[in-house]
Amino acid sequence: MLIILCLSGVGFVIFVTQQAQAPGPSPPPNNPDRIVSLAPSLTEILFALGLDDKIVGVTLNSDYPPAAEKKTKVGTFWQPDTEAVIAAKPDLVVTLQIEQQKRVADSLNRLGYRVLTLKIEKIEELFAAIQKIGTATGCKQRAGELIENISAQLQYLKTKYSSPSKPKVLWVIQTEPLRVAGRNTFINELIELLDGENAIGPTIQQYPPIGTEELLACNVEVIIQSAMGKTDIGRQQQQAEVFWSKWASLPAVKNKKIYVVNSDTVLRLGPRLPQGVEMVGRCLHPDTSTKSSETTRRIR
Amino acid sequence: MAEFLTAKELAIKVSICLAVLVVVMCLCTLVGTQKVSVAKVFAGPGQVPGENIDYEILVRVRLPRVILAALVGAALACSGVVLQAILRNPLADPYILGISSGAGLGVMIAFLSGVTQNFLGGSPIGIFAFAGALITVWLVWYIGHFTGKSQVTSLLLAGVVINAFLSAIIMFLTSVVKSEQVYSTIFWLMGNITEKYSPVLWVSAGCILAGIIVLFALCHRLNVLALGQEEAKGLGVDAARTRIVAFACAAFVTAIAVSLSGLIGFVGLIIPHGVRLTFGPDHRQLLPLSAIIGAGFLVISDTIARIIFAPAQLPVGVITAIAGGPFFLILLAKYSRKVSWLK
Repeated sequence: MLIILCLSGVGFVIFVTQQAQAPGPSPPPNNPDRIVSLAPSLTEILFALGLDDKIVGVTLNSDYPPAAEKKTKVGTFWQPDTEAVIAAKPDLVVTLQIEQQKRVADSLNRLGYRVLTLKIEKIEELFAAIQKIGTATGCKQRAGELIENISAQLQYLKTKYSSPSKPKVLWVIQTEPLRVAGRNTFINELIELLDGENAIGPTIQQYPPIGTEELLACNVEVIIQSAMGKTDIGRQQQQAEVFWSKWASLPAVKNKKIYVVNSDTVLRLGPRLPQGVEMVGRCLHPDTSTKSSETTRRIR
Repeated sequence: MAEFLTAKELAIKVSICLAVLVVVMCLCTLVGTQKVSVAKVFAGPGQVPGENIDYEILVRVRLPRVILAALVGAALACSGVVLQAILRNPLADPYILGISSGAGLGVMIAFLSGVTQNFLGGSPIGIFAFAGALITVWLVWYIGHFTGKSQVTSLLLAGVVINAFLSAIIMFLTSVVKSEQVYSTIFWLMGNITEKYSPVLWVSAGCILAGIIVLFALCHRLNVLALGQEEAKGLGVDAARTRIVAFACAAFVTAIAVSLSGLIGFVGLIIPHGVRLTFGPDHRQLLPLSAIIGAGFLVISDTIARIIFAPAQLPVGVITAIAGGPFFLILLAKYSRKVSWLK
């Protein structure tokens, strides 16, 4: 009996998929008026492209620029609310290429909405994403300018912070258990851009957990820790100093080079990237940072 | 049997419960994060997306989700009833024999292999979960069967050990994969009801309903089985055969439920017990009523999950555990004096 049921099920599936392959609605023209963004970084890109008035929905975590907080909320980054997205009547929905968003993107696609899915995990991919959003929203030129602007600033920061010393950097994601950014991350890209070196060698994991032995052996000179939440970075800084004081032999601890940073500008990988890079640069090479930091203000 | 259950009585009880379920489903369809005008819904879908958003939200987003919740709830509750009966263990739930970890491992493999292509309209995650669950259940059954005479105990032990083993593999893979994949897996493990491609929904509905019907046909034998293996033999019921058919069906519907919505805890445990405590242990009644009440319970839980922190959404597993636990304890305190779980 089960076999018969399975067979009929399979038959039905085949029938249905044939139906499903029917051509979808034709794509609308390239000037959407109502855009929904499902990720904070995408929201920042849309704002940076000057699409402020066209954004009709963002996720709860979109808190920059301040105008984003006033936009209608359509769920969280991890669990967008399909109903709310539809209620915003979008003609373009921008999503990130992760499993949680794929589900929503799939169902919106099936309903005939135009969905743009982007992968942003490296600096190169950020530029490609800005380009794609520019093309999809009819502001190709602005996108080009934005990319130009960001890469010029990155180039400037690269020269500004270039140094022969190559400090060894540990980027700490969480302390208990200790988990750090490995080589295969864009954080590593930033560290190398700023003439630093990841204190942890190649690992299988992107964000490997590391043991005390490895920590003591890595001779880390600068420890950067992403702040949890936005409040009270000063307190987190104190806690971090207490936490690291048990390994007094580490050069970073000895020389008091432990920094807790508000990591939104870095970890979000959006148009504020140069600000993040500037911040990391100051941690890596405190001596050079007294030079002008005017450049970062040029970015919108 | 303490009380004799007539077909008429059963039909009346089932239809009352069904009617209540339909009302609950309708009400839950009307509740959501967005206000929807029912009058506008009847105007039909419109030509272009966005023309009639009331229709799109109600008919194409919310209704399928409510139906999905009902299906999964029914499947898990039924599976719980059957596994408690054939394993003769009140702690048995649909996940006890390795389905949870098998499906979890399947999902992990789906994430790791980077398959994102939808297959026959179903997401790769669901398909891998389904395959993982079925393979694991088969393995547990095979080992349990292989190891000896007191089949029930060895089956349970095999289930527990394989669950632990696969969980360890999941933990190992978790430490290897990319962080956002871990996050996605955790969300999946907590159980989530989301919109599905409608043909997938209908095929699953067909399979789950068919499974429940087969299980219902076995109910009389499950009653006899509850008396014990020797007694069952004396009454002319082939215990081993009944057990394998019931087990296969229960595993099948659970695997489908898991592939649709991840691991939703508690439904398969508390609904059968709740129904048993309230209505008595006769499986002919216990199974259909559990299915219907399980469906209603999950529909309500999912509605709460959708709206309580709107527009943020909660995993439905959180609600089933928070709402289900205390409710079940109340039932237990109230009725446990009257009924024992096995006659």
